[in-house]
Amino acid sequence: MTTSGSSFVQRYRIALLTLLALVLLPFVIGLFEGASPFEVWSNQSGMSRFIQGLAIEIFILALYALSYDLIFGFTGLLSFGHSMFFAVGAYLTGIALKSFGLNLWQTFGILMLAALAQALLFGIVLPRVKGITFALVTLGLSSVFHIVVMSRELGDYTGADVGLQGVIIPDFISPATERLRLYFVTLTILVVFYLIYRRFVDSPLGRVCKAIRENEGRAQMLGYNTFLFKLAALILSSLTAAIAGALHTIYQPIVSPDIAGLGFTVTALLMILIGGVGTLHGALAGAAIFRLLDFGLRRYLGESASFVNGAIYVLIVLFLPYGIVGTWQLKASLSIAHMRQGWQRLLEMVGVNVERRASRE
Amino acid sequence: MTQILELHDIHTFIGQYHILQGVSFTVPVGSITALLGRNGAGKTTTLKTIMGLTPPRIGEIRFEGRRINGMRPFEIASLGIGFVPEHRAIFRDLTVEENLKIAERKKGDYVRKQEMIFSLFPDLKRLINLRGANLSGGQQQMLAIARALVADNRLLLIDEPSEGLAPVVIEGLIGAIRHLAADSTVVLVEQNFLVASQLAEYYVIIEEGRSVQSGRMQELVNDKAAIHRYLGAA
Amino acid sequence: MEQIPAIMRKNLVLIITLAVMLVLFVAAASGMSWQDFVITLLRGLAVGALTFLVASGFSLIFGLLDVLNLAHGTLFMVGAYIGWTVYVRPDTFVDILTPLALIISGFTLGDVWRLLAQRVPQSGLWRRVLPWVAIVPGVLIGFGVMRGYPVASWSLENYAESPVTFSFLASQGQRVIPAPATFGDGSPLIAFGGLILASMLIAFGLTLLRQSDIHTAAHVSWRHVVPFAGLIAGGLVVFTVNEPLTAWLFALDTNWLFLIAVLAAVLSGMGLGALMESTLIRPLYVRPIYQLMLTLGLSAIGIEIVRAIWGRPEFTMPKPALFAGSGEGCPAESLWLALQNSCSTMLFQGGRIRIYNEIFIPLVGLIVLIAVWLLLRRTRLGMIIRAGVQDREMVEALGINVRRVFTMVFALGVGLAALGGVLAAPSIGLSNTMGESFLLNALIALAIGGLTSYPGAAIGSLLVGMLQQFIIKYGQIGIAIPLTGIVFKPSPPLVPASTILLMVIILLILPNGLLGRKE
Repeated sequence: MTTSGSSFVQRYRIALLTLLALVLLPFVIGLFEGASPFEVWSNQSGMSRFIQGLAIEIFILALYALSYDLIFGFTGLLSFGHSMFFAVGAYLTGIALKSFGLNLWQTFGILMLAALAQALLFGIVLPRVKGITFALVTLGLSSVFHIVVMSRELGDYTGADVGLQGVIIPDFISPATERLRLYFVTLTILVVFYLIYRRFVDSPLGRVCKAIRENEGRAQMLGYNTFLFKLAALILSSLTAAIAGALHTIYQPIVSPDIAGLGFTVTALLMILIGGVGTLHGALAGAAIFRLLDFGLRRYLGESASFVNGAIYVLIVLFLPYGIVGTWQLKASLSIAHMRQGWQRLLEMVGVNVERRASRE
Repeated sequence: MTQILELHDIHTFIGQYHILQGVSFTVPVGSITALLGRNGAGKTTTLKTIMGLTPPRIGEIRFEGRRINGMRPFEIASLGIGFVPEHRAIFRDLTVEENLKIAERKKGDYVRKQEMIFSLFPDLKRLINLRGANLSGGQQQMLAIARALVADNRLLLIDEPSEGLAPVVIEGLIGAIRHLAADSTVVLVEQNFLVASQLAEYYVIIEEGRSVQSGRMQELVNDKAAIHRYLGAA
Repeated sequence: MEQIPAIMRKNLVLIITLAVMLVLFVAAASGMSWQDFVITLLRGLAVGALTFLVASGFSLIFGLLDVLNLAHGTLFMVGAYIGWTVYVRPDTFVDILTPLALIISGFTLGDVWRLLAQRVPQSGLWRRVLPWVAIVPGVLIGFGVMRGYPVASWSLENYAESPVTFSFLASQGQRVIPAPATFGDGSPLIAFGGLILASMLIAFGLTLLRQSDIHTAAHVSWRHVVPFAGLIAGGLVVFTVNEPLTAWLFALDTNWLFLIAVLAAVLSGMGLGALMESTLIRPLYVRPIYQLMLTLGLSAIGIEIVRAIWGRPEFTMPKPALFAGSGEGCPAESLWLALQNSCSTMLFQGGRIRIYNEIFIPLVGLIVLIAVWLLLRRTRLGMIIRAGVQDREMVEALGINVRRVFTMVFALGVGLAALGGVLAAPSIGLSNTMGESFLLNALIALAIGGLTSYPGAAIGSLLVGMLQQFIIKYGQIGIAIPLTGIVFKPSPPLVPASTILLMVIILLILPNGLLGRKE
């Protein structure tokens, strides 16, 4: 596919503008406070530093939401055990760094193997159970993992119900001293994965996944081994979530067992439902909205935040039927259709019969 | 002749797909009318649209002169329209008797119609306590039609009654449907042109979501060109 | 007779699974004394029965409506709290009846509103604005009136007047009657008029919002006014006899009071269910996955509302007198004697059985099991439900108003959950988290039994209850592993893990659960 430079820029102008804004964000915030870009660069500024932290959290959540959108939004696998994908990444990173003193690259290698293994574990049950039963089995598998992490027997490694603490992050990426670098690393990883996902979704492979979501029987009849496609989606999703988990550990240094629970899977579901299922950028928008909403509400409402949060979700469901991005897209395409209809009606009014003219041509 | 059912320029969408793109026809009282056309032409959707199961977005449907589009399916059915869906959608978990009783609209419908139904389908009487799932295909089809007879319906919509049935069974079915037409009007979707031409007095051909031709069945039987063009059969 | 081998061959996997479970059960039983075994069994039955009350409603709703109602656990909890209020603070209950009746009254005039809505111009800005012009003042008036409306209540800040204290006093048999709340300077008539007005405005506004309903013809006759007038009259009567009624309830035998509490909880559960289905769930049948998000959101809201009204601390609900005695002749030697002396416990082979928890709750569970089974098998509504589980469209095409059936089933399901909640309250106490654990139990039970199978819900609940109680028991006495001499004591986290594992194993062997239909 060859596109000229200008049309490329035009086509992706929103995405490029967002990216540019995110790159400039730390410096702009710094300027508001009167800190020069150099000061921001050397990690001195307070507010900018804080915003960077929030943004890093959003990037991590967005990565996690993307990975859920791939298997749920695009392949139609409703998994209630997705938090395990994330938690395995987070715990493994923490344990490898803390208890075994591995360096970041060794940890990364182990992480990839573990991510592959857990995708295969879900893959084993894949041919047996479908639909809501798959959701329950995956819920079961992840709950067992949750309980294992919480158990006293492994407390030395996982920190049981207190959580994993005291992980020492290598200096060059430490959120304490090199936060801006971590900000850009996370952003880069998110962008890279977003592009990979875009490519995957638009590739023949991704199209088969979408066909499976619409009607698995038909995809099978067309001669596709749907199991392999679902497995491929699972593996990619698992890798992504594990990396998101690893980044979580690096940023937080504390890993709470909550991220292995059902609640965190629900978080993923909420994020993509808010943004719009099966759109990819909906997952990104959903993650940002979710985190900012949660942050804002907790800050201003304290205790009753979850009440308002729940109410907002109910309102989103009732009034934005396809998520924020999805509904917006639909509205946009509908308004174009309406404009066309209106144009046609206008032509009819002035006496031009559109149909007859079309048939004559 | 009065028309019991009138469809005027019906457009139906399923999700984002524009399935019916202008279906218009009328059905005279007391007749059997067959909807013909290729697979996927929109015949089944037409019946469902009449029932309100896939409500039309544009157009008008009148039953006995009364506008019925916009009404909910149960209200449309309550006006006196019986529906026999494709694939013999009887209730598998219910016994034959329950399958009939559930179709009551007034208390006592079933008791009143019992005799008529069992004289039309004597087999069902024998199977009365069997679960729907345990019936054979032909028996299920009979039950599905019988179910539409329990309430007082003046119009019956029957979708693909002969699909997947043995020729002997089809024969019996044709007899039964003919018998029905004595009391009520029948609109029939039928793939099997032979069956349709034996049963129906009138026909409507639906092609790619549009009604393209209609008239008396006798005329169509002699119109080999139209049969070939729209139905792909000789 | 030759059918039997065929059935066996068809269900071979099921039979083997059941046989393996039976063997495991016998093995589990043989590891403990007869006394421990019976008591553990009864406890399993109790947990199973409560789980079943949640699971059966959940399964009815899922089977017919295809809605995974994740707020079901929260509704279970709400049932418990409402029951507690009626039981421990009847004065609050009586105070709230009048405004409640008045607020509902406007909604009974549905057909009148529909007729009015048809008269409203069908297009334009007016159409969009009018519903809110009705709803917003309605809500404001309602809130305004309720702020000044006197309802005797408790305080979350003051420990002496907190729910915890009232529970404690009630369990001591001290029924302290707090000072009744009264209207200050406002007139009751203005309050009543305001509530009725608010109710009518909101009901009219909601009718306007639901535009699809407006096409259906509405007929208005004098009959439609009867429930409306009845509710208002009832509310006013309760208001005039408020004080004697309160005094009578406080003096009433706790057994009867408990019965009233159960009824109130079930009825309010059904009302909540009907309200939830008809306003929130109904628009989402076309977008099933969003129902998950909706019910999750509602669940969070419900928990917060409960926290705001009843507070965070856990408290108990005293058992009714019939099951609370500890005086002469207690613990009793037999069930008969226990009931005669109203003992809370009876002796069994040296162990103690709690009558309420281990006899009464399983009994109610059994009664509900049979009652709902009869409803499903012997009534027209049951027939419609069973047919609707398979093919909703066809049921509708037969002229049956499926939407109304949906509302009824949702109300029934939530009512069952509320019944479970109020029954559980005297046994496990009230807390903000009681709903979640029972929802998880019920989900597991349903997955084991088969998601839409009613007997499956019963068997699954029983298995979940039994397994949990046996693991807890073995956590105390330990399992002697043969040939090694090691005694293994399952730790507490293994209790939830064991049921989850059972679910995963069963789903992998039988993807549709034990009794689920093969598709």
